[in-house]
Amino acid sequence: MKKIHIYPLLLVLTLILASCGTKKYDALIVTGQSNNSHNWKASHTTVKQIIENTDLFTVDVAISPEQGGDMSTFSPNFKSYDVVIVDYDGDSWSDETKANFESYVKNGGGVVVFHGANNSFPEWKEFNKMTALGGWKGRTEKDGPYVYWSNDKIIKDTKPGKGGSHGKKNAFVIDTRQAEHPIMQGLPLKSMHTTDELYGKLRGPAENMTVLATAYSNPKTNGTGKHEPVLFTIDYGKGRIFHNVLGHVDKSEDMIAYKSAYFIYTMQRGTEWAATGKVTQVVPEDLPNLSTPLVLPAYKQFTLEGLFKNARKYKVGQSKKYLNLISQRIKNHSSNAEYMANIEGKMIQLLSADDCTADAKNYICREISWMGSDKALAVLKTLSSQEETSEMAKYAIDRLTQK
Amino acid sequence: MVKKSQSRRSFLKKSAATVIGATIFPSIVPASALGRGGFVAPSDRLEMALIGCGGMGRANMKNLLKLKNKQVELVGLCDVDIKQLATAQKLITDIRGKSDAREYGDFRDLLETEKLDAAILALPDHWHSIMATNVANKGIHIYGEKPLARSIKEGRAIVDAVNANKVTWQTGSWQRSVSNFHRAAELVRNGVIGKVTHVEVGLPDGRKPIGTPAVQTPPEGVNWDMWLGPAPKVPFRGVMHFHWRWIMDYSGGQLTDWAGHHVDIAHWGLGYDDKQPIEVEGKGVYPVEGIYDVPVAYDFTCKYDTGVTVRVANASAYPDRKGQGTDVNRKRWGMGTVWYGEKGWIHVNRNGFWASEQSILDTPDAEIKNPIYKSDSHWANFVDCIKSGKETITPAHVAHNSISVGLLGEIAMLTNEKLKWDGSNEVFTNSERANRLLSRPFRAPWQLPQ
Repeated sequence: MKKIHIYPLLLVLTLILASCGTKKYDALIVTGQSNNSHNWKASHTTVKQIIENTDLFTVDVAISPEQGGDMSTFSPNFKSYDVVIVDYDGDSWSDETKANFESYVKNGGGVVVFHGANNSFPEWKEFNKMTALGGWKGRTEKDGPYVYWSNDKIIKDTKPGKGGSHGKKNAFVIDTRQAEHPIMQGLPLKSMHTTDELYGKLRGPAENMTVLATAYSNPKTNGTGKHEPVLFTIDYGKGRIFHNVLGHVDKSEDMIAYKSAYFIYTMQRGTEWAATGKVTQVVPEDLPNLSTPLVLPAYKQFTLEGLFKNARKYKVGQSKKYLNLISQRIKNHSSNAEYMANIEGKMIQLLSADDCTADAKNYICREISWMGSDKALAVLKTLSSQEETSEMAKYAIDRLTQK
Repeated sequence: MVKKSQSRRSFLKKSAATVIGATIFPSIVPASALGRGGFVAPSDRLEMALIGCGGMGRANMKNLLKLKNKQVELVGLCDVDIKQLATAQKLITDIRGKSDAREYGDFRDLLETEKLDAAILALPDHWHSIMATNVANKGIHIYGEKPLARSIKEGRAIVDAVNANKVTWQTGSWQRSVSNFHRAAELVRNGVIGKVTHVEVGLPDGRKPIGTPAVQTPPEGVNWDMWLGPAPKVPFRGVMHFHWRWIMDYSGGQLTDWAGHHVDIAHWGLGYDDKQPIEVEGKGVYPVEGIYDVPVAYDFTCKYDTGVTVRVANASAYPDRKGQGTDVNRKRWGMGTVWYGEKGWIHVNRNGFWASEQSILDTPDAEIKNPIYKSDSHWANFVDCIKSGKETITPAHVAHNSISVGLLGEIAMLTNEKLKWDGSNEVFTNSERANRLLSRPFRAPWQLPQ
C-alpha cells in the first residue's frame, strides 16, 4: 500500500488554522502554590485547557516559587494580558508585584478568581476588595460582612464569626440571579453542578459586587441553610473581576467539579467577560439542567459526531447521556429542516452500523418513529427481522407509516 | 355479547324514570340480588372489581366500600403483582370483617368469570385505554383513574367505548367533588371576575432523579411482561410501582398526572368541558442522566378559539404569585389554578381559594344564576349515577378534554413546535411529526378492541 505523507499537510493546515484563528486575547494563569486542601497543579492545567477550548485565548502560565521560596523573583507582567486568572493561595507576593497587580486591575485589567484562590492573601486589602469575599485564614467580622441571598435580594450580615465553611461535597443546584448578565445569558435558570465543595459563610468587603448565581447550602450535608453566592462580578477601578467559588480539587486529582458543564461554561464565559466586558461565545448546545449534572469529559461540549460515536455503545442499565443529548438536539433544531435531515441521516447510519448495540438502536427507533421520514424505512425493515431490535423497529415503522 | 352484558345494567336501571332497556328482562340474577347481609335493596347493590390494586386503586376501593348502606361489594381483585393483591384483600377484610373477592392475575380471566356491575381501574397510564375499552365493552360501569389515557387517540377510544356501551364513567378527578374547587369554578363561571382572559395552572415540580438502576430479576409473584403490556419490552430494573410515573413509555410525569386535576378545574371554571385548544406551544426540560425521562420542568401555553390562553407549568415557574394569601411558603402558591378576569382573579388549590378582592369571595348566593354540577363525594356520585343513569361529575368526554391539554403540551414540548390543533378532528394541522405522537404503537399482541 502506498504510504501517504500526511505530516507536511498537517503542518500546512496547522499554520493556516493558526493564522486565521480567532485567538484574539491573552490570558495569564498565576499559580504555583495552594493550601493542603487543594492541588494547583491539577487545577491550573485543567483551567488552562478549559480556557483554551474557547479558541479565544492564548493562555500563559506564571508559576511562583515553591512555598518558602524567594517571592521577590516572582513578578509576572500582568499588564501585557487581557485577563489574569488567579489560581494561587500561598506566600505573599512582593510589594512590587502586588502594586503591579493593583495597577493592572485599576487601569482596566480583567481578573478571574476561583475556589481556593479566595482563601489567599487575607492581609492584602486591595486583593480582598477585588475578590469581594474570601474564606478562612483568620477572616472574621473585621474583614467584612457575610453575604447571602434571601427573598430575591442580597443580604450583607455583619454579625461576628469566622469566614469560610463548606459542607460535605455533593452535587447541588445553582440558581441564576442575573439572567441578563452577559455571562449568564442563555444558561439555564437552574443548573445541577457536579460533586463539589459549596463554600458558605464567605466574608469580605463585598463592595461593588453583583451576584450572578447562588446555590442553596443544604444543612443535610452540613451546609449553612442559606443561598450562598456562587458566581459574582466585582468592579474595581476600571477593572472587571469574575469570581467563581466552584472548582475543588485536592491531592486525589478527582477532576469531577471541573468536568461539570456548569463550571466549564461559566469559566469560559466569565473569562471572556473579565477580559472584554462582553461575551461573544455562543451558548453551548449541551446544557446542564436542574435534575442532573452534565459531565463533559474533554472539558468542552460534545459535537454531534461525538454524541453519535459514544451513543452507539449504550446498553440498558448504563448512562443514557449521549442518546438523551441527541434527543435534545432534535428538539433544539426542530424548525431547521436541513439539520433534521442531517440528524436523521446519522440516525440511519447508526441503525445500520454493526458496532452499534441493539439497545442504542432501540432507543433511536423510538426517536426516529416520530421525527424520521420514509428514508428510515429500509433499515427499520432490516432491523424488524432481527430479534433484539424487531419490536422497536416495528414500533417505528408503525408510526412512520400510519395514516 | 352486548346483550349479555346489558342485562345487569338494565336491571339496575329499572328504578330510573326513563330506561331504554327496561323492557329487556335480566337473564342472570346476580348473587348480590339474593340480599345477604345488607341494608340496601339487593337489586341496588353493586358488585365491583378492582383492577390495579396499588395505592390509588385501594384508596378508591376503600372510599367505595365505606359508602353508607354497603352499596358496594368487592367480588374481584386483579393485579400482576401478588403482593398488591394480598394488600387489597387485607383492606377489604379490615373494612368489612371478611373478603369474598376472588383474585386474578389476568384481567381477561376476571372479565370472563365475574359478572360485574362496575370496576375500579387504577393502572399505570399505558394500560388505561386497553383496560377501559375492554371493560366498557362488557357493559361494566367504570371508576377510572386519571389521566384518562396515555395518548389522545387512546383517550378518544375510551370515550367512544363508554358512549357506545352507555356505561357510567367517573374519572378520578375528585377535586370536582370538593367544595373549594366547586365554589371557585362556580364564581368564575358566573362572571364574578368578569370575562376571563388568561388562566395559569401550576402543577408539581418534576421528580428528583434516582440514577441509573441496573438490570435485575423481577420479584417473585410479579408478571413483568403483563405489567409492560402494550409498552415496549424492556428488562426489569426495579422500577415498577410508583416509578412508572416518571418514564415516558408509561406516563407523562407530573404534567399528565396533575393535568387531570388542576387543568380539569381550569376547564370547569371556564365552561370548557367540551372544548379543546386551537394552539399550543412551550418548553420542557428533560433529564440528561438516569432512568427517568419525563420533563423535570415544563411550561406551555394553549390558546382557545375564544382568545383565552391557559398556561400550564410546574409550580416553580410561578415565583411571582405573591399576595395571594398570607402564607410565607410561596411554593404552595405555585400550585393550583388561577383565572384572571377583567375584574379580578380567583386562585384555587388544595389549601383553599383566594381572590383579588374580598367581595369576590363574599359573592351572595343570589348572584349565582348558573349553579354548576354539585357533588359532595366523588365515589357516592359514581354509585348514584350508575343507579340514576345520569352523567357523573367527571364523565369520560370531560376527562378527555382535560388530559388533552396535558398531552398536547407534552407533544409541543417534545417536538418544540408551535402547533395548531383541530379539536373536532383531533389532528394537528401543521405538523406531521406531532401527529405521529397522538398515539403509541402497541406491542403485540395488545391492541385496542376493534
